[in-house]
Amino acid sequence: MNIELKNIITNWIPNESKVIDFGCGDGSLLKDLIDQKSVCGYGVEIDHIKIQECILKGISVIEKDIDEGIQDFESSNFDVAIMASSIQCLKEPHIALRKMLNLSKQCIVTLPNLGFWKCRLDLASGRMPVTPNLPSSWYETKNLHLCTIKDFEKLCENEGFSINERFFLNDKGNKSILSKNIPNTFASEGVYLLAKK
Amino acid sequence: MKIKRDLINFNDGLALESGAKLDSFELMVETYGELNNEKSNGILICHAFSGNHHAAGILEDSEEPGWWDNIIGPGKAVDTDKYFVVCSNNLGGCAGSSGPLSINPVNKEPYGKNFPGVSVIDWVNSQKLLSDYLGIKKWHMVMGGSLGGMQALQWSISFPESLNKVGIFAAAAKSSTQNIAMNEVGREAIRKDKNFMNGDYLHHDIRPKSGLKTARMLGHITYSSEAIMDQKFGRNFQDIKSKIDRDVDYEVENYLQYKGEKFSDIFDANSYILMTKAMDGYDASFATNGDLEKVLSRVKAKLLVVGFDSDWLYPPQRSKEIQLAAMNVGVACSCVILEGEQGHDSFLFASQRYVDIVKGFIES
Repeated sequence: MNIELKNIITNWIPNESKVIDFGCGDGSLLKDLIDQKSVCGYGVEIDHIKIQECILKGISVIEKDIDEGIQDFESSNFDVAIMASSIQCLKEPHIALRKMLNLSKQCIVTLPNLGFWKCRLDLASGRMPVTPNLPSSWYETKNLHLCTIKDFEKLCENEGFSINERFFLNDKGNKSILSKNIPNTFASEGVYLLAKK
Repeated sequence: MKIKRDLINFNDGLALESGAKLDSFELMVETYGELNNEKSNGILICHAFSGNHHAAGILEDSEEPGWWDNIIGPGKAVDTDKYFVVCSNNLGGCAGSSGPLSINPVNKEPYGKNFPGVSVIDWVNSQKLLSDYLGIKKWHMVMGGSLGGMQALQWSISFPESLNKVGIFAAAAKSSTQNIAMNEVGREAIRKDKNFMNGDYLHHDIRPKSGLKTARMLGHITYSSEAIMDQKFGRNFQDIKSKIDRDVDYEVENYLQYKGEKFSDIFDANSYILMTKAMDGYDASFATNGDLEKVLSRVKAKLLVVGFDSDWLYPPQRSKEIQLAAMNVGVACSCVILEGEQGHDSFLFASQRYVDIVKGFIES
């Protein structure tokens, strides 16, 4: 995770809040949030090697396939649920988002933008896009449901999620004037703070 | 590895959960490795129902390696080069600590069936006295599998300030109805053995071996899994020469006969009943009227809960229940479910991922 993205997420997390990170990877984001914001943090991960890395870092990690359901966690009353670069890998992203907002007051979602101009160029030239945010070839990717910024915001509208804050990053991982003003074409990645309306 | 075995006397006795009091008691204890100057590297191992203090290594040539020898030792998951590892035989057991085979100081006769009923909480309280004796104010970790996992969980509830980490493997926050039912079949086999004599067999100098054997045979089925039984024995016939009993046809029958027989030679029937009753009686949330979250809210240690897919005695769901209740009240808790094909017994075997996780958690 690049520094800009980490800063955005860290700024959105209240001190000493209860946080769950779905698809927490090696736990490094949670580790930073624990160190900087004294959060009570839990990670959910399915990859064995990443789970081991979390345990070595002293992060509380739960082995779980998010697609099998996260409704059990509704009783945990989280302040913030994070889903960084994983939503597009789920079988039913819209249902996962609903469930995340059932178990948490707010939800941070980051996603790659298929409308990014380099993706459009790749497609126009007849190839599947490969960018820093979509690094895998079509046959290796775990992404099942790629979308554009417009698509995602339309989903939020349809589902009744309010977008409390959002940032758009270019393919260097930075905020830029172009990515801010014309995100559907110039943002490589969208970062959202969602809540229920 | 430096191994020590001691029988430690606690003259101040112990007030038991039942209201009874043991005026004095003894614990048989093994230790591995060395306690550091800060006394901060202690790891307490809690054994399962039929286990004992002999968790690792070999102290005398005649004995087998301890029951968790593939987990505990130099460089192993519980590294005795770094940690001072302690394991005690539970009170009420039959491997050296005070129990039904011990002499009652009042009448100078073995306690037998009159040894007071003990609970998981009593075991934890007795081990707290052991910690004080060893000068360990805070364990680096308390861990165990099955009944030992329940005991480790109870440690984190009873003495939240006295441990940093807890390992709960193939265990549950309470015995299930099915667990109690299985244990009752075992106890019934013992009680119906004509040599049991209503628990007074020591007076008649006999042992209810047949009942114990049947109980253990059932036990072994519940500790195993369908898949591992298929894999180990299949439908193979036992060859004539190595048959334990001529009524035996299949290898699996012979195996159960052998294991049951061996167990009935070394285990005490009154201990069996007492230990299984302690297991049945365990419910971490008993004091909070079934509210597990409420009782876990006092936990300060970090928990590691490990379940095994093939375990149908304490299935993975029991592990997940502990994890969820802990998370609901903000207690640090990791939970992994391993493949472990050995059924409930999987916690005893050192599969690579299990070892990595346990070692990683201890040393993080």
